[in-house]
Amino acid sequence: MDGTTAAPAKTKVAGKPIWPKVPAEFVRAMLAGHSALGLAFAALIYLVCFSGSIAVFTQEFGRWEQPAGPVLHDVTPQAADAAFREVLAKNPKAHDLFVRLPEPAYPRLSVHGDDAKGGEHTWFADASGKVVAEQQTPWMTFQAELHTVLHLPRAWGGFIVGLTGVALLSSLVSGVLSHPRVFKDAFAFRWGGSKRLQEADLHNRISVWGLPFHLVVSLTGAFLGLTVIIVGVLALATFKGDTSKAYALFTGPQVKDDPRPAAQPFNVEAALTTLKARYPEGRVNYLYIEHPTEMGQHASVNVVHDGRLSRGETVVVDGAGKILGEVGYESGSVGMRVLSTMTPLHFGWFGGWPVKVAYLLLGLGLTAVTSSGVAIWLARRRDKGRPAPRWERIWIAFVWSQPVAYAFSALVAVLSPPTPPVAVWGLATLAACASAIVGTPAGISIALRRIAAGLLTLVALAHAGFHFGSMADPVGWIIDASLLATAALLAATTLKPRSAV
Amino acid sequence: MSPLWSLALAPLPLAGAFLLKKAWDEPGPNRPRFILGGWGLLAVAIAASVPLMGPARGPFVMLSIGSTVALILVAAGVERRNAKKKALRELAPEPSDRRRVVWRGWLRGFLAGPLAGVAALGCGLAVAICAPGQIQSRMVIGGLMVPFLWAGGMAWTLSDDKILRAFAVLAGVSVVTLGAAFLKGAL
Repeated sequence: MDGTTAAPAKTKVAGKPIWPKVPAEFVRAMLAGHSALGLAFAALIYLVCFSGSIAVFTQEFGRWEQPAGPVLHDVTPQAADAAFREVLAKNPKAHDLFVRLPEPAYPRLSVHGDDAKGGEHTWFADASGKVVAEQQTPWMTFQAELHTVLHLPRAWGGFIVGLTGVALLSSLVSGVLSHPRVFKDAFAFRWGGSKRLQEADLHNRISVWGLPFHLVVSLTGAFLGLTVIIVGVLALATFKGDTSKAYALFTGPQVKDDPRPAAQPFNVEAALTTLKARYPEGRVNYLYIEHPTEMGQHASVNVVHDGRLSRGETVVVDGAGKILGEVGYESGSVGMRVLSTMTPLHFGWFGGWPVKVAYLLLGLGLTAVTSSGVAIWLARRRDKGRPAPRWERIWIAFVWSQPVAYAFSALVAVLSPPTPPVAVWGLATLAACASAIVGTPAGISIALRRIAAGLLTLVALAHAGFHFGSMADPVGWIIDASLLATAALLAATTLKPRSAV
Repeated sequence: MSPLWSLALAPLPLAGAFLLKKAWDEPGPNRPRFILGGWGLLAVAIAASVPLMGPARGPFVMLSIGSTVALILVAAGVERRNAKKKALRELAPEPSDRRRVVWRGWLRGFLAGPLAGVAALGCGLAVAICAPGQIQSRMVIGGLMVPFLWAGGMAWTLSDDKILRAFAVLAGVSVVTLGAAFLKGAL
């Protein structure tokens, strides 16, 4: 948060402050630290926040990208078993298969596995369990991996995203400490006049009212990103570097590896029937089946109870469907129960679509806080007679490069699915940033917003046109309509504002 | 049903934020009542979410929805100013001016990044290994402490003008916590 404060809009009788007076030197020192940290991590925080806001709707984007379905709201254990067996037949030596059952956020029956050459595939099945299509959702995968690992090798990408989360958390701490009037100014939101003060109002208002959300997502994000390094060091201290032993503490009952061929492949139907009897109020959303054709066959089955914050309880079952035990996400220690809330809390996957919409808006708010933080620093330099025009152009070009690059990569994914979206996104980001070479910051901002609006319109129209006759999933239409609405809003922001009073 | 409950309860934080805004807008004899009523409604919204949406889930749903509606309320009250007219403003605090010395910049970066990270990791590890309680709980709580302490260490070292003091504290914490963790060395 920026320490810039504004005089009250109206003349008010000064009340006695309820907060202790914070020494000015402390505020100035905190502001210096806040500023340095924000600038050092600005681009990364911006990218992670923007991509995270979009990633809230990862499942919906998967449905939008392949809206033909089959859309299923429930399947029988027999159908799930049939789908599993059909995919297993494609590669009987598969090490593991991941069966995903329909759920409200993702109404599909799918089976994921490797082929004989090691290539990964996900197959969709219909209500009878017959495989009918292969999943083709490159854009959904692209945007999810951009947020979680920045398309870097998993360990490095996760670490950098986790470190960005730490930097964001640190900025929140120093921001709150450097803003002693945090509640006193909580409703002051003025637009126009001095650029610096306008950005400060935007920065501080979103920061204050979004603070609970900002703390939750930065802490959970940093934790999720740094898991590899935390577990690695823990394993070094306690298990002579064997991280598998550390992870084993969180995977429930261990099943001995037995590579002898099994008489029958893993029985999905039996497992689901047993679990339905044990957890009548629960709903299985996936089965991770290991060694499906060996004597050591077993599965980790996730059972979700609606109305809980947790990601669900994971139950380990053997090949005949006998329950071997629970991991303890819902029934175990406090630590296990806290752990099971990390992903839902981080992505907003715990309260249906209203919470997802709230996460999208608050996430974009946090993105705007990052953008305005740098804008304040640049405006402060200008006010002090030390403008940095090149950086002003580069920053605004980078800020608006992301809507452009996301929209362009989505458009190419719709028109030409085999083209890797990450390459398109990278090129579009570079091209948009190159606009910093010419024009003024205001001109660059308007141009890129208009381009993004145009591209979003094209994405919606192209998608609707391509899938017009086969849009079985209504989410396809909803997202197209949302894209058009976003494009209209974005375009509206480039219109000349009404004259201010 | 829970999406509908979250929408049904949304007017409570909205009304709470509205009362707080009213207190902010109109200082007068009723101000304490507005403040009390505003915070009271926010508390009621969270309390009501517990039986309707679950003891852990409900409050988090309401925090998300409440933050969003409050921000919408603030945005709705935006005051447009004439860009050509200078607005009256209080003097804003400026970040403290520091001497620009290269080695201090690098040292500060080292303290805020790797050293604060090692110190935080040491604290988390010490909790995971030395604290009482179940293994998984110790590991998760220790793990959650790492980003939080790292962030705190980062904020402190970047703000504290006395960087040698920060260096000494972080180095000391690292040695003590990692030493304790590796000496005990078993979960």
